[in-house]
Amino acid sequence: MTFLAPAFLYIAAGVALGAIGLHFIVTRQPLSSLLPTVRFMPPSAVRVTTVAAPEDLRLLALRVLLALLIGAAFARPVVLPKHRPIARVVIADVSRAVGDIATVRDSARALLAPGDILVVFDSTAGVVRRGTADSVRRLERSGRDGRLSPALIAALRAATELRGSADSLDVALVSPLRTSEIDGATLAIRTLWPGRLHLVRIAGRADSLAPPPGFSVRASSDDPVALAATIGGRQSSDTAARIVRDRGTAADSLWAAEGQRTLVRWPVNEAPTGWIARSSPDTIGAVVAGESPLVYPLERRWRLDPAAPPARVVARWVDGEPAAVERRIGQGCIRDVAVTAPTRGDVMLRPTFARFLAALVAPCQAAGGGPGLGVSELAALAGSGPLAATRTIPAPDAVATPLVPWLLASALVLALLELAVRRGSAPLWTDVAAAEPATPAEAA
Amino acid sequence: MLTASYAAVLDEVRGISWPALRRVPSAVAGPHASVVRGTTAEFVEHRAYRQGDDPKKIDWKLVARTDRVYIRLSQEHAIHPTMLVVDASASMAFPPESHAKWDLACRIVIGLAAVARHGGDPVGLVVGNGSGRHVVVPRTRRTVLEEMMRALAVTPAGNAPLAPAAATAMRQSARVVLVSDFLGDADALLVGGRPFVAAGGELHAIHVVDRGELEPDPTKLLLADPEQPSVRRPMSPPARAAYLQRFATWRATLARQWRNAGASYTMLVPGEEPLRRAVRRITAPARMPRVRG
Repeated sequence: MTFLAPAFLYIAAGVALGAIGLHFIVTRQPLSSLLPTVRFMPPSAVRVTTVAAPEDLRLLALRVLLALLIGAAFARPVVLPKHRPIARVVIADVSRAVGDIATVRDSARALLAPGDILVVFDSTAGVVRRGTADSVRRLERSGRDGRLSPALIAALRAATELRGSADSLDVALVSPLRTSEIDGATLAIRTLWPGRLHLVRIAGRADSLAPPPGFSVRASSDDPVALAATIGGRQSSDTAARIVRDRGTAADSLWAAEGQRTLVRWPVNEAPTGWIARSSPDTIGAVVAGESPLVYPLERRWRLDPAAPPARVVARWVDGEPAAVERRIGQGCIRDVAVTAPTRGDVMLRPTFARFLAALVAPCQAAGGGPGLGVSELAALAGSGPLAATRTIPAPDAVATPLVPWLLASALVLALLELAVRRGSAPLWTDVAAAEPATPAEAA
Repeated sequence: MLTASYAAVLDEVRGISWPALRRVPSAVAGPHASVVRGTTAEFVEHRAYRQGDDPKKIDWKLVARTDRVYIRLSQEHAIHPTMLVVDASASMAFPPESHAKWDLACRIVIGLAAVARHGGDPVGLVVGNGSGRHVVVPRTRRTVLEEMMRALAVTPAGNAPLAPAAATAMRQSARVVLVSDFLGDADALLVGGRPFVAAGGELHAIHVVDRGELEPDPTKLLLADPEQPSVRRPMSPPARAAYLQRFATWRATLARQWRNAGASYTMLVPGEEPLRRAVRRITAPARMPRVRG
């Protein structure tokens, strides 16, 4: 155990010593007895006898304990775990880029020891400080993209909490380490950590590693989507993805369910299945599918029906509203797109639309994870040199001190007890003043 | 109001008489010899006839023998109104636990009143304490004792002087009994008592002293006066020895002063003697010559 503000403890010790000293100093005057004929007693000086031992040891003990408890509470005690050579922060990737989540569980379980911290991330990061073993067992892959930057920030913050429990700190990252998981800030955040990073690279989803597939389009000959697919050379007859510019048929759904195929239902003028018309259509400037934005003034006619079955959002308008959703069917999936395809201008011929289209026809639950990080990026991320020494880690801004409320509550109880004991004991002082001199009126 | 304690007092004093120490000036018929000469059958002396005497009192046989005119004088008997004055100041509430001084004072007052009333004398009471004076006027009726018991149902407090109460009693009767510890205005009482005795009054001083005052508990370290809280003294062994000497001297001086003033002085200590013996000592003081008709 250590104290964040030990000066208060020293002050409390001083107060306790003062209380002990006062108990030695204070003397009790004898209680006076009544005697009507006291006037015949010759006046004499009152003798003061110093008490050699403190009186009322119960009160003394209560007061000393009270002062020490208050001082300890203000000193903010922190219970430190058992000191170890190495403490570890394990960053586990549960984004959709992960191939087999069991691999993540096994790797994280092998790294974690009691007292270590687990950081789980996909697009957001969560810190697990207690029960990490149970948390690792319950890890499940999410359908969201991985973002390493917030995970690194959370890990660095969590690592400062371990600085008092080990000599060195290790930050381990269990992830497929895809390019889509890092951004421009990732490496800059990485440089904030003084030691090396322990990278445990696991296999990602195979489909996400595959190049963008070809797809077929069922539409009229002058349909802009079909034209864009034709110009881009991505249209083929035997594909794992199909775009239908209507609400689709049962045969389309069966086709998607029988294999790991993607059916994209993109009606030209009517609302997709599970969508309802907006009360007032508007125009919005961009839509993003996966990592592929399409910047163009697009008309927004429909909105997702709240009563529709839950679905995974694969494309969003720039204001965050869903623009396309995905639902599983058999081994494949069906995507309903509520984006009005532009019919004017050359936006359909631009590469941005092609990338947008590729994101929409990407394999199910894999709107693109991108390829793995290169050697240079991995080296930059891992760093070099020894593990970070705890002395080089700055102290955390806020340290939880769970003992403080208990100490204050105990002090309050002791204060009430002291009051009760003080009231229950005999009065410390009587109204006795010093002996009065003899008055002339006194007899004898 | 007749408590068990007072009932026992009345039983103890039954049969005790309290004759007057001197001839009483009263003319009302009673048990005590009066200074008034009358014509009752109890012959005392002859006196030469003076103009205005009743011719029926002339002793004609003596006139025949001596050829001089004499009248017969006989002894008259009268009542002797008695007032009891009791000190109810705070010093009488001692010891604080038992109030033994006040208890003895009350019992002695009721005992003396019962004796006097049994002899046919009117009895009254003046209780002097901090809250004023409570006066029971002298009466002979049966309920006067109960009135006195009610008057005594107070807790001694304060340090009011007793001399005004004594003066009230001395104006109303020829026999006054002062029951006090005389720690208040003893000198004023003496000053007021001397002319009373000189005028033919009968004055009894009953001094109530507790054993704890005669021999203070040596284990007590600091002592305070209940009537004057500012007076407090530590009691060391030398101080206690000096106290014993000074208190004994004061008591002896007080007794001498009362006796010199013509009063009887009796010191009572709670628990030292039966009440009957104490009442007998008061009603028949050994050192005071009894004047009989």
